[in-house]
Amino acid sequence: MSYFLTQVLNGLSFGLVLSLIAAGFAIVFTSTGVLNFAHGSVVLLGAYLVAVTQPTIGFWPAVLVGIAGAAGVGVLINALLVRNLADPNPGTAAILMLGVDILLLTELTRRIGNRVLPLGAPWGADTVRFAGIALPTGRVLAAVLAIVVFAGLWFLFARTRMGVGMRAAAADGPTASLMGIQLARTGATGWALAGVLAALAGVFLTSFPAPGIAPTVALSAFLAIPAWVLGGFDSVPGAVLGGLLVGLVTALTVGYESHLTFLGSGFGDVVPYVLMIIVLLVRPQGLLGSKEAVRV
Amino acid sequence: MTKTRPALVAAAACLFAVTACSTTEPESAGGGGSGDVETGTGVTDSAISIGVLTDLSGPFAAGAAVQVTEFQAYWDQVNADGGVCGRDVEMQVQDHAYDPQKAVSLYRSMSSDIVALQQVLGGPTSAAVLPLAEQDSVYVGGVGWASTALGYANNQLPGASYSIQGANAVDYLVDELGIEEGSSIGVVYYVGDYGADALAGAQHAAEERGLTVIPQEITPATTDLSAQASALVQEGASAVILGAAPTQLASLAGVLGSQGADIPIVGMNPTFNPALLNTPAADALLANTYSILSVAPYASDEPGVQEANALYAEADPDGATGWEVPLAYGQAELLKNVLERACDAGDLTPEGVVTALGSADDVDTEGIFPDGLDFTQPGESPTRTVFVTKVSDTAEAGLELLDTFEGPSAKSYTFG
Amino acid sequence: MSDLPRRIGGLVLLLVALALPLVLEDFWLQLGLFVMAAMVGAIGLTLLVGVAGQLSLGHAAFAAIGAYVFVWATSESTPTLAGAGLPAVVGLVVAVGVTALVGFAFSPVASRLRGIYLGLATLGLVFVVRHLLLNLEPWTGGFTGRSVEPFTLGGFSFSNRDPDYLAVAGVEFEGLHRLWYLFLVLTLLACWLGVNLRSSRTGRAWANVRDSETAAAAMGIAVARHKASAFVVSSGYAGLAGALLALAYGRLAPDVFTLTVSVEFLVMIVIGGLGSVGGAMVGALFVTALPLVLTQYSDAIPFLAAPGSGGLDPATASRLLYGLAIIAVLVFLRGGLTGAFRRLRGRFGGGGPVAASGAPDDTRPAPPTDPGHQAGMHPAISKETAR
Repeated sequence: MSYFLTQVLNGLSFGLVLSLIAAGFAIVFTSTGVLNFAHGSVVLLGAYLVAVTQPTIGFWPAVLVGIAGAAGVGVLINALLVRNLADPNPGTAAILMLGVDILLLTELTRRIGNRVLPLGAPWGADTVRFAGIALPTGRVLAAVLAIVVFAGLWFLFARTRMGVGMRAAAADGPTASLMGIQLARTGATGWALAGVLAALAGVFLTSFPAPGIAPTVALSAFLAIPAWVLGGFDSVPGAVLGGLLVGLVTALTVGYESHLTFLGSGFGDVVPYVLMIIVLLVRPQGLLGSKEAVRV
Repeated sequence: MTKTRPALVAAAACLFAVTACSTTEPESAGGGGSGDVETGTGVTDSAISIGVLTDLSGPFAAGAAVQVTEFQAYWDQVNADGGVCGRDVEMQVQDHAYDPQKAVSLYRSMSSDIVALQQVLGGPTSAAVLPLAEQDSVYVGGVGWASTALGYANNQLPGASYSIQGANAVDYLVDELGIEEGSSIGVVYYVGDYGADALAGAQHAAEERGLTVIPQEITPATTDLSAQASALVQEGASAVILGAAPTQLASLAGVLGSQGADIPIVGMNPTFNPALLNTPAADALLANTYSILSVAPYASDEPGVQEANALYAEADPDGATGWEVPLAYGQAELLKNVLERACDAGDLTPEGVVTALGSADDVDTEGIFPDGLDFTQPGESPTRTVFVTKVSDTAEAGLELLDTFEGPSAKSYTFG
Repeated sequence: MSDLPRRIGGLVLLLVALALPLVLEDFWLQLGLFVMAAMVGAIGLTLLVGVAGQLSLGHAAFAAIGAYVFVWATSESTPTLAGAGLPAVVGLVVAVGVTALVGFAFSPVASRLRGIYLGLATLGLVFVVRHLLLNLEPWTGGFTGRSVEPFTLGGFSFSNRDPDYLAVAGVEFEGLHRLWYLFLVLTLLACWLGVNLRSSRTGRAWANVRDSETAAAAMGIAVARHKASAFVVSSGYAGLAGALLALAYGRLAPDVFTLTVSVEFLVMIVIGGLGSVGGAMVGALFVTALPLVLTQYSDAIPFLAAPGSGGLDPATASRLLYGLAIIAVLVFLRGGLTGAFRRLRGRFGGGGPVAASGAPDDTRPAPPTDPGHQAGMHPAISKETAR
């Protein structure tokens, strides 16, 4: 039983980290209609900035640098490139982001080399123990922080002028624009928010139980795509739910692999995608997505 | 679109082509060459050209760069001492960025200028290039240690294959680390030729030694091994064999440590990187982690390794140190040995070099590889001996040499 | 629009393509094979994405199916690997047929989802197919894959053997040279078929469905059937591209068909200009050849460090240039490379009107397309139907 619980908690805490990334996909998509293929490298960039600045300025200030850097790059990408597309449409925007991804990832890979950059997180390899279950402190922190962040996001979208403006812009851009909402500003806010979430996710994705920063981190961010999709394209709560589901199902598939051999070895790596296809078939708008989103 | 006219032209072109066709081979002048050495592609009277197809901008860029530096330093030194067969050895380096399509194209661009390939780095890339090189009878070294490469007569494996490493890992666990018969061991491995080969060796050995294997497949994108580690602890694994990369080693060791599982972890050749000792997992790594190497570790005091390290330190004083240094030196040494054999046999054509490889028995590399490498048996690992090392913060490059080792199951492992 | 310059241009290109093997080195021939395989795949994808408006990130999965079916069909059965031992041409037909069939099986999904949603669902397909390739070892050879039999046609082999020596105008024609012509014929066939399909009744129906499903339905077009047929045709193209890739490599492994390949197909058609067959082919040339040519000739770029010396090495530089090129085309060239070319010709040649090629789906706000709700309510968004 404690084994089952360990896997469940492992999966859920990892799932919350995925949720942070998935929410970034959802926010960028709702605020500017872009499928951000470069999101993985923004995650890596945030973590990289933390790792290179922490020896001189300490861990927590470094986290702020990472957040600022990732958010800044997001805003710049939006302002300089996305808004200047020759044929603005979701297809070309997605390809544009692939170009950006190639640039970011190539340069970061070159800088990281085959070093494994430690993140210098103060919680090190500590674990939290209760009821016979040991969980890495970093993951517990990640879960707590993610819950706080999502509560903050909920407040932002539901209660603030900015957030309401963003929702209006997402629902109907031209009308919102006529109502005096500045689409440029809501777009920039969306990209900045996604950058903040990406940097936070990067910190937890690369600290214990992961060893540190390696270029493969950008790959694991890919797992957030099924999380985002199955939660619903335009829904932050959906992204949270999707992340939790992907984390949970992956952990359980891996944890009970010896009972699932009929699915082939390594099924844990495809199960998020299988889950995504099934959900899309049953509910094309995703679990919590709004029906409008599908009518693009 | 265009209709009749192109068709006519095409027909005319075909006609022209057919009339210009010939299927009788003109008498070739045989290989060129001066003196009593026959030469062909890639060899002139003054130079021997060899190629390196490596990954300088993809996932293995940094380790690959170390090897390229060491190759270059080695051949520069050889040339300063008079070269091979009275000729300078010139190295062409191309970067395939771990992309098989690039690797194949770059191989095509190289194959008409070189006599042998010093290295084709990477699993998918070498799998794409090896069959082409076999058709062209071009020697290929340094493709890693997967047994699948043993099927190619033109390939030279630098030391024991992954399956032999895996089998030796189990033997070492039983004979030296006190794992008892009847216990179970985890094998966490990459999907693919590397991981599957290590698993095959470990499974054979486990059967021989009365152990049970708990396999856990992962991919390079798996950087958090919490779920795998918990599963292994749950199933009562008393040791873990890891066929993956440094990122996975650090995560696995860290999580096992945090779960209070005080069990040995044995990695294969590419599993360790000294940079891991700066991560939070350092304590766990120092306590329990071993690495089975096909090549002597950087900290070995064998003369060959010392020479390799000195050469590297001179070539790149700030370079990263690790097992890549002696490996690159040893691989260059193996190729030099084969080229010299081909020279002695009077045939420095690409085919001649491959033939010379097939005659290379009892190759000695001054302690970089186990002594007496035997390349005369196609499909067999050139040796069944490996180096057993333990992670240490006092040894240079983080690995301390414990032993050279050849276990009974490694001896009884059959290829095929 | 005057067709003469275009015909002459096409003819010159064809003659050049026919003559190239006489002068090119192996590197360029090999590259040419990859480019032509990519062209076939890109044409299929541009019909689906550009003309019919269904985004697909799963093209590599269909290419993988085509490649493996082709190899299975043409290989003799061995104790470890299954094979049907069929003639190569039959194998090609079987490969295209089976892939199209798989596309048909997937088309219910396609008819339920639109635009980027369909794209992401097909992205899942790449991972699922990869999992199958790795695990169905008796057919696929697992991770290490299986080797590809040379293509033979009536005793003539497109390899270095049978005939062992063949020379044309004094140039020895080896496997690569022979394959060049096979690929050229198939690529031209694919191109011809693509152009005709695009301007046929079916192609116009696809474009109508893309622009507005409701309007298309009102005009009597069977929407679901046409969405499915676009998917089937595109999958067939992907299958052929996969079989060609198999022949170009000489060996198949799951690593040949990664997500990167899917994405690159998409980059090709977007850079070339969505919906244009010629654009897809230009895009395929651009995406496949540029990184390799940059790598190959990077020694000529002065300020770069030697490989392995730790500085900005040629390969990294070429990758950065590749990324920059994608961004530059998308930011500066409306309608991709073909759009820019058309404008250029429009400016100098006084040719026909500059038609921006159709995009698969427009920016938000989206035209709501619920049946019976409203049809073509946003005149600003409804597009000129691509010819």
